[in-house]
Amino acid sequence: MTAMPVGRAGPEIVTVLLVEDSPGDVRLTREAFRQANPTIVMHVATDGVEAMDFLLKEGAHALSPRPDLILLDLNLPRMDGREVLARIKSDDGLKTIPTMILTTSQSDVDIAKAYQLGANCYLTKPVQLDAFDALVASIVDFWVTKVRLAQKAKHG
Amino acid sequence: MEMPQAPVQDFPAYRDVGVSKEAQSHLAQMDGRYRGLLEAAPDAMVVVNQGGEIVILNLQAEKKFGYHRDELLGQKVTNIIPEGFAERLYADGLRSAEDALAQQIDTGIELTGRRKDGTAFPIEIMLSPLESTEGVLVTAAIRDISVRRRADRVLAQMEERYRGLLEAAPDAMVVVNQGGEIIILNLQAEKKFGYRRDELLGQQVTNIIPEGFAERLRLDETRTADEALAQQIDTGIELTGRRKDGSAFPIEIMLSPLDSAEGILVTAAIRDITVRRQAESHLAQMEGRYRGLLEAAPDAMVVVNKTGEIVILNLQAEKKFGYRRDELLGQQVTNIIPDGFAERLLLDETRTADEALAQQIDTGIELTGRRKDGSDFPIEIMLSPLESPEGILVTAAIRDITVRRKAEKTLALLEGQYRGLLEAAPDAMVVVNQTGEIVILNLQAEKKFGYRRDELLGQQVTNIVPDGFAERLHADGLRSAEDALAQQIDTGIELTGLRKDGSEFPIEIMLSPLESAEETLVTAAIRDISVRKDAETHLLQKVEELRKSNEELEQFAYLASHDLQEPLRMVTSYTQLLARRYKGKLDTDADEFIAYAVDGATRMQRLIQDLLAYSRVGANEGNLAETSSEEALQRALANLRGAIEETGAIVTNDSLPMVLADEGQLVQLFQNLVGNAIKYQNKGVPEVHVSAEVYGRKKWIFAVKDNGLGIERQYFERIFGMFQRLHKREEFAGTGVGLAICKKIVERHGGTISVESQPGMGSTFRFILASSE
Repeated sequence: MTAMPVGRAGPEIVTVLLVEDSPGDVRLTREAFRQANPTIVMHVATDGVEAMDFLLKEGAHALSPRPDLILLDLNLPRMDGREVLARIKSDDGLKTIPTMILTTSQSDVDIAKAYQLGANCYLTKPVQLDAFDALVASIVDFWVTKVRLAQKAKHG
Repeated sequence: MEMPQAPVQDFPAYRDVGVSKEAQSHLAQMDGRYRGLLEAAPDAMVVVNQGGEIVILNLQAEKKFGYHRDELLGQKVTNIIPEGFAERLYADGLRSAEDALAQQIDTGIELTGRRKDGTAFPIEIMLSPLESTEGVLVTAAIRDISVRRRADRVLAQMEERYRGLLEAAPDAMVVVNQGGEIIILNLQAEKKFGYRRDELLGQQVTNIIPEGFAERLRLDETRTADEALAQQIDTGIELTGRRKDGSAFPIEIMLSPLDSAEGILVTAAIRDITVRRQAESHLAQMEGRYRGLLEAAPDAMVVVNKTGEIVILNLQAEKKFGYRRDELLGQQVTNIIPDGFAERLLLDETRTADEALAQQIDTGIELTGRRKDGSDFPIEIMLSPLESPEGILVTAAIRDITVRRKAEKTLALLEGQYRGLLEAAPDAMVVVNQTGEIVILNLQAEKKFGYRRDELLGQQVTNIVPDGFAERLHADGLRSAEDALAQQIDTGIELTGLRKDGSEFPIEIMLSPLESAEETLVTAAIRDISVRKDAETHLLQKVEELRKSNEELEQFAYLASHDLQEPLRMVTSYTQLLARRYKGKLDTDADEFIAYAVDGATRMQRLIQDLLAYSRVGANEGNLAETSSEEALQRALANLRGAIEETGAIVTNDSLPMVLADEGQLVQLFQNLVGNAIKYQNKGVPEVHVSAEVYGRKKWIFAVKDNGLGIERQYFERIFGMFQRLHKREEFAGTGVGLAICKKIVERHGGTISVESQPGMGSTFRFILASSE
């Protein structure tokens, strides 16, 4: 078994899990991804609990795919992003999935904490639409096109 | 055995020798006459004829040179003094007797003697002529100066180290070698024993301390230096010293070893204890009668027997009553205390010593003393029994209470004088004597402490001011009135007052001395500072509340601006999305409306960002560290790269120093100032220059100079305020927060910021930061 580069050129479909409670943000992100690469499949979890269910294929998410990337907001209902991050990064099956914090918080404390918990990068949401589009485009360019990721684990 | 100093000066008696007859008989005659004298001389003596042959010699000469007398008689003197003597015979033989007399042995000729065993030793000879029938003979007094020579060497060695010490010593000091010869001595030793130094050097110490010292040399030389050190001179050995004139005096010596190249020497510190001995014998006489105690007493003391006769008295008693001791001894005590004492003798002698101890002198009997001149004075006596072989005696301690009586009067007077002043004072006032007793107080003091006046008078001030006052009485009693005046009540001592009901209250006291006839009293002005203390506490509370509220406000500003961003993003993003997708597809009104919405949202977003930045300046306090202002500027310029490239601005700077700053804030400061300099421009190319100069002690003043629009003087202050803008939005965008942030940053760093400008001439913003040194 050889490691398969994940990318637009590959036969596999790239899936992204967006954990975000604001429908406006979800829509904006979806629009931005579509603009960057229309083939990417974006799943959405609107709170931390749902995100974990999705990742662990529990309940209604039994058939969920394993995402290639996770975009995680910090302030979420039920279980906040920090705890979701901590669980992902302490789970052997999940910790290899690149997990990006995407939030409005510019707090130094939040930034430091996120990296301590193993976030792969910390991004603040730009207010201007053009800047947001550019940010999503660079995520896709870097994490989907350029980076070689670990082979997908057989999960579930 | 050398003799104690038969003085050499006596020797020229040989001169008197008359006309000779026959040599041999003459010599025999001379020998007979002067033998005693010769033998008594401490030096070796030889008489030599003009042929250089020895014709007479003494025992010391035999000993020194190691020959029997008959081995030397008739032999050439060169046998024992190979050089320098025989050669002088002629010359010296011709000198007159007067010349010889003038020549002291100490100014003699230093030569070398040779013993029978061939060993040589240094000698000093003094020659003098001796007329005889065979012609002029020459008498040579020969002194072995080995020891002196050695002593000279040792002395030279020790000179640096010990001479100063020796001479500085209050005692006579002699250093003695193991042969018992004195090799060093000090001036005190010369004086004490009445010798010149050269008369003692090389001599046996037994000359000045006949017994008890030389015997100890062996013993003491083996003691370690530490043991010697441990031995104090006061615990020394008591011996007898002998002066040159033969008189003896008691001495105490303390011996200690002194290591030298010549072996262990013994240093003897010799103290003349004549006076001490005298004192001791006197004391011994008085011992049974407590003389020492009596004399040490501050009061006049007399000891009286059962019949009322004074048997002992002290110096104070002599002084107080104006009698000499012998005028009172054996006299009736009624002479000095006419009434009230003699009558008590019977009564008091029966008290036990314990009872007497229990009776304080201050609670004694007040009587009247009578001086020799007939004048009376108030006294207080305390009696106590004293067991003696003659039966129970009575000791009376007599205190002159004239001063106290006067003081009591003075106090009454003082009270009268100051009462008005005291009562007028707004503070509680108490006057305290040196034993801490309250002697005067005012109405305010009564009120404040809740006592009636009579409850406090005569009581210890510690009853109302438990701590911190009484302890200061002594120190303050000694301060000058000027010092006290200089001390304002507002700089007084904060203590705690204690009311009669046991409650406490904070006070401030100001002490000042008050001279009275008897002693220095201390006036204490006592101010109740309850109200002030409450106010202080209240103020501290308010300050704390304010600090908290300020903190909350900053926190609120931060959180608000942060949370406001979220909905704002929605407004901004979706109006922009609208604009992007539908611009030109709806009507022109729609395009305009969308444009305003986008513009409004964008401005609000900038405002929130600036507010956030502003509140952040307050958020992380106290993170000042050594920071390169040069690097901070470069980072700011990197952040401004877009604006710089767009305008083609030329930003230059001098070399900038290390400062004490929060680096992030310093970057922000430069960014705002340089950003403003680039932004507020006419159409020309912006030129900005950043520089720094040393400003006072450990500070730098930075300048950001531009060629921009400039600012009118009237706005110099205003521009640093929050939301203050000088331009229309259409001219220059901005929130009016940038310079407010600059001001806050600089002030957080303990500095100030200002602007110097003229419209059309550019502006220079200056701010001060602490150096990192």
